[in-house]
Amino acid sequence: MVIKILFVIFVGLAGGIAVGSGFVAFLAVLGIIPRLTQLTKTMKMIIWYQWAVVAGALIGGMGSLRDPAIFFPSLTLIPLGLAGGIFVGAMAAALTEVLNVFPILAKRIGIEDKIVVLMMAFVFGKIFGSLYQWLYLVGR
Amino acid sequence: MEETIYIRMRHRVQIRPNDTVLLKDIAQIIAHERIHQDLQNLKVYTFKAQDNNIIIIDVMEVIEKITRAFNSVEVQAIGPSQSIIEVIYQKKRMSVPFFVLTWLLLFFGSALAIIYFHEDVSMQATQQKIYTIITGRVEARPLIFQIPYSIGLGLGMILFFNHVFRKRLNDEPSPLEVEMFNYQQDLDRYVSLTENKESMKRIDGH
Repeated sequence: MVIKILFVIFVGLAGGIAVGSGFVAFLAVLGIIPRLTQLTKTMKMIIWYQWAVVAGALIGGMGSLRDPAIFFPSLTLIPLGLAGGIFVGAMAAALTEVLNVFPILAKRIGIEDKIVVLMMAFVFGKIFGSLYQWLYLVGR
Repeated sequence: MEETIYIRMRHRVQIRPNDTVLLKDIAQIIAHERIHQDLQNLKVYTFKAQDNNIIIIDVMEVIEKITRAFNSVEVQAIGPSQSIIEVIYQKKRMSVPFFVLTWLLLFFGSALAIIYFHEDVSMQATQQKIYTIITGRVEARPLIFQIPYSIGLGLGMILFFNHVFRKRLNDEPSPLEVEMFNYQQDLDRYVSLTENKESMKRIDGH
């Protein structure tokens, strides 16, 4: 019995370590945090950003595994949604950067100086696609 | 008699506006004692009002100035071939609101990412779950979360590539500009190696 419990604890811990380190490694490769510190000029606080990620992952893990409820007004969800969207959007942008999407595309069609226009197409496409899914497609 | 001067450009130097940049500020110098002092205080660059906050000084400029000021010297440049001079207009104070915003962004972002992973990468289930956690109610279509989320997607992308704040406070390039540059460098390296027949030699001579 004790061995069973210990084994389950060990497996849980091992799984958690795999997921957690994978998450952090993914964030590190994409380089979102350095980018945000560069924008806000808060390089010195980078250690606190590290703890923000750790705390967020822990709270998110607990929230998704233990079904808590804190009974806040639903308006609280607006900033949360915005924050989540910005995070995912920055991740998507970082991913296109890692994959060299924009440089190759701009060179192919020869609009290297109008790359902003190209990027805005991506941005509006994302907003439109996401709104379309949640407002129309899901409720159909 | 020719004298040898060794200089090594510093990689990155910070100055205040209206400073005069001396040779000792931007380079390490080894020279004969007799001219060392004069060499250290050689003016290399004077700040101009219309300057950007990043100035590049090439080693060739420095060598030209040295050879003009001292005759019969030989300059040996070692290390980086240019210095980046960064003009610091005012002491950078850390902005607390920006810090708090970024902290919260990363916090909620990571929480969302982990819930998303646990919910079998279904964003819809993730959003329903977050709605239930916050309000305690079950909602099949939590639009109050989904609409800000959709707008945030675009904002995040703009934020990452920094194209809204086109009037940048500094001259630091955006990641996109760096990426274009890197890609061009890769292409240049490729053509310079493959188009040059002398760069590779094979046994059978083909």
